[in-house]
Amino acid sequence: MMESRHKLASARRDLRERDVRVVIMALVVAVATVATIGLFAALLQKTLVTSASAFLAADRQLEAEHGRPIPQAWWREAESRELQTARMVRFSTMVFGGEGFQLVSVKAVDGEYPLRGEIEMQEAAGAPRQMVGQGPPQGEVWLNPRLMSLLSLQMGDNLEVGNLSLTVSGLLLREPDGGFSMASLAPRIMMHADDVPATGVVQEGSRVEYVALFAGDESDLDNYYQWLRPQLEPGHEWESVRDGETLSRSLQRAERFLLLGGSLAVVLAAVAVAVASREYALGQRDTVALLKTLGMTGPGIGRLYLRRLLLWGLTGCIGGLLLALPLYWVMAVVLEQVLARPIDSGLEWRGLVPALVTALVSLFAFAYPPVRRLQSVPAMRVLRSEPGEASRRAWPDMLVAGGAITVLVWLYAGEVSLVLALLAGLAMLLGVLGLVAWVLILMLRRVAGGGTAWRLALVALYRHRRSTLSQISVFAMTIMLATTLLLVRTSLLSDWQAQLPEQAPNHFLINIAPGDVEDVDAFWRERGHPLDALYPMVRGRLTQLNGEPVRQAVSKDREVRALNRELNLTWMDTLPEDNNIVAGRWFEPGATTGVSVEAQLAERLGLKVGDRLGFTIGAAVVTEPVTSIRTVQWDSMKPNFYMAFPPGSELRSLPATWITSFYLPPEEKIALNAFAVRYPTVSVLEVDHIIERIQDIVRQVTQAVEAILALILAAALVVMAAVVSATLRDRQREGALLRTLGGRQRLLVRSTMVEFALLGLIAGVLGVLAGEAAVWALQQRMFEGEFQWHWAVILPVPLVSSVVLAVFGRWQLSPVLNVSPMLLLRRLE
Amino acid sequence: MGQGMAVSESPSVSPESRDILLKVSGLTHQVNLGTDTLTILQGVNFEINRGESVAIVGRSGSGKTTLLGLMAGLDSPSQGRIELDGEAISELDEDQRARLRARRVGFVFQSFQLLPALSALENVMLPLELAGHQAPADQARDLLYRVGLGERLRHTPRQLSGGEQQRVAIARAFASNPAVLFADEPTGNLDNHTGRTISELLMTLNQEQGTTLILVTHDEQLASRCHRRFAIDAGQVSEFRESK
Repeated sequence: MMESRHKLASARRDLRERDVRVVIMALVVAVATVATIGLFAALLQKTLVTSASAFLAADRQLEAEHGRPIPQAWWREAESRELQTARMVRFSTMVFGGEGFQLVSVKAVDGEYPLRGEIEMQEAAGAPRQMVGQGPPQGEVWLNPRLMSLLSLQMGDNLEVGNLSLTVSGLLLREPDGGFSMASLAPRIMMHADDVPATGVVQEGSRVEYVALFAGDESDLDNYYQWLRPQLEPGHEWESVRDGETLSRSLQRAERFLLLGGSLAVVLAAVAVAVASREYALGQRDTVALLKTLGMTGPGIGRLYLRRLLLWGLTGCIGGLLLALPLYWVMAVVLEQVLARPIDSGLEWRGLVPALVTALVSLFAFAYPPVRRLQSVPAMRVLRSEPGEASRRAWPDMLVAGGAITVLVWLYAGEVSLVLALLAGLAMLLGVLGLVAWVLILMLRRVAGGGTAWRLALVALYRHRRSTLSQISVFAMTIMLATTLLLVRTSLLSDWQAQLPEQAPNHFLINIAPGDVEDVDAFWRERGHPLDALYPMVRGRLTQLNGEPVRQAVSKDREVRALNRELNLTWMDTLPEDNNIVAGRWFEPGATTGVSVEAQLAERLGLKVGDRLGFTIGAAVVTEPVTSIRTVQWDSMKPNFYMAFPPGSELRSLPATWITSFYLPPEEKIALNAFAVRYPTVSVLEVDHIIERIQDIVRQVTQAVEAILALILAAALVVMAAVVSATLRDRQREGALLRTLGGRQRLLVRSTMVEFALLGLIAGVLGVLAGEAAVWALQQRMFEGEFQWHWAVILPVPLVSSVVLAVFGRWQLSPVLNVSPMLLLRRLE
Repeated sequence: MGQGMAVSESPSVSPESRDILLKVSGLTHQVNLGTDTLTILQGVNFEINRGESVAIVGRSGSGKTTLLGLMAGLDSPSQGRIELDGEAISELDEDQRARLRARRVGFVFQSFQLLPALSALENVMLPLELAGHQAPADQARDLLYRVGLGERLRHTPRQLSGGEQQRVAIARAFASNPAVLFADEPTGNLDNHTGRTISELLMTLNQEQGTTLILVTHDEQLASRCHRRFAIDAGQVSEFRESK
């Protein structure tokens, strides 16, 4: 009873001590940063996935491209696993209505569609746009507005689809799964799936796609897929949000950035805790000696400090969460405003786990070792500080700390390569830093000349070389982490913007007959919208690899979608601008053989230059050696091809159609009607809505990235403050002494500012260079960008850090300047 | 090195008691300074009886503080034996010595050594809490009244003058009712007047409580009030008596 009161009392007493407040502050910042990032990342992921899910109108899609319906057993299994399901059938057909006929792409959906997202429609031209959660009922049909004018239809008119007559009841503006595949031929009509049999259009062997949509828990979906996978046949395609090529890269990068940011926050937090608790422990040695003198045993001391540590941890966690939760709500509200739609901002409690683990690990791996060593402070210290006591073995602590950081970052980022890159970078940085800083300090000492202030500053840096070194290391590390994040963010954002420039192609023309190519080109050029490159396209399957059937040649566990469907094959003489050869050589002029394979596919199939590929195209088989492997910008919104042949290839003798893409501003979309009338067989694929959606998502991710960056920079500042104020007492004492000895205020101010400015300059240069190195490494491994020097950052950062630290130092000094030295010395006693 | 001059046989035992509280025999203490070994005490022997007051004097650096630390069990000697209240503290480990200190030993230091974060009352309560006392606050308050700080219980050391801080330290030293009180230059940081007041307080409490007092001092006046005086020089301890 008495004992516990004593414990509580001493925790309260603890709070009166500055270093304890710093440790707790560091913990609060650690927990707050990690918790906010954790919560926000979870929210963002949920939001991103939901809004990305809308691209599939579900969480997962199963497409059967081979024209056979999805087996009943699969539906039943999904329902028994409590997954939501929806049915969809896609096919192309001629429709009759109003004044003519038109080839349309039909999407027939059941009453459950869409499972994610909403359909945007109008009940009549000029009526308000509505978001609805269901497609048309049986007997009705919704049409693309362009089709209305093409066929001169009015609301309420009839449209004949095969044998069935449907009433036109709405204009279809946007579908939640408006993603494009080459098979989707515009313009679109949407009808009810139950009406399909009555049309008589879909028969055994018709070219039709049956699609099953699923939504539910991630784990249920994954389990279902595990069950389903062995039964899938060629022509079945399982799609999850993350498979979508265009979007997934943006999502992955955003996710990685958040994880990277989170990891850096963990490292910064750990550094802050380590620095503050080391200072605390140093300051506690006298107290421990006294407690021992008063009869407390080593283990007793150990228990006392362990209890304190736990109390700090608890305080830090509570404080951190109190800070994180409002921050999280604010960010959620901001996100909601950015998205202009309600989001489910319910707390993901799992998001808090990393924060609490961080607090615990920080406490035990970074705060405990120096505090534990207090047990061995000799009682004799109470009479005089022992010589040799200052040499504290730091290696075991550093090993523990290094191990702990590894575990933390790994727990947090879950990616071994990220962890290794980060830690190797830090370890290297610390090594190099130590060396360089040491040499610099030694050199500085030899610098002659300059005023008294300059000499005093150099002497101070040299005299405190141990703490100078550790301060430079910590500053440089902080600057490195902040720079890394800043640079990665910049390249991430500019990369995204470059990916989808203002006038990115937003329409595809597919199925252009060879004889129409020149006329089509002229049609759009006349209207001021020149086409991007035109490519021929031949559809064929990859069936053989080095003379063996490809399914045998490629090991079973490799899931290669390209094998399950027809590929678009093309020929071209010049390599598209955004493609890069990574192996082999591009076709020589006049080449007649060879094929260039897209790099990811080549990797998945294990292809190398020289392998012979056999393609089945209709009745023909074309066999060519791989002559080059190239990377492709899949998200460029231009026609891209897995397989490219030389212009002289055998492919040329096979029937081909042409494909192109171009930018058409929204206000000129009406020109598509004239085009469709003149070239009824050419399909127009409108991807402008998809591009808008992607730009939306990029915007929201950008906001998140900026918010998190700001948070981490704040953490970095706290670390700096912790480190600088750790030496506060010594500096104030020295300042007071100098003044006592007759040093004038101006001298003191100048020498301190010079000292800190030098500290900031050295740390800034080292940190920014290390940051560049880290960005280079990260870009190589994670972000797939090209490295370049960031002079806009390299030059100002050391200057800024120098100025900031000089000001910080000046600010620290103010108590010394405004108080009589006598009072100060007594206070510092 | 010179011969150790044994002082244990000296006829300086206090008249009222022959009960030996502290016995030092063959005490040698050396410290390693890199390659050199410095001998601070060499073959020292003496006894101190219960209730006596002893002043240890000598030049700065002569080893007074080292001897005090060894007698109090703050450090263990290189050689020799120290018995405190019948226990051979030179053979105890650090934690056993700490427990012994909690029960038997009080300290007063030159630099007061109060915990800055604690109030005067809390500072005095600390040893009582460590010894598991029933009502530490009451006893501590009582002691602070006795040293004349009854009105300043809640003040922290920073709010107290040097003399006041030393009074708190004295209250703390007597709080656990120790058998022996070690004082290291208790007046060293104080002006003459305050120093005298503190000496007076120390002596008075010492007598009232029947504590054995062992102090290191440069303060002639304080030393002269003790029953016995030991001088340290060149690693040797000798006792001298002046008629008083």
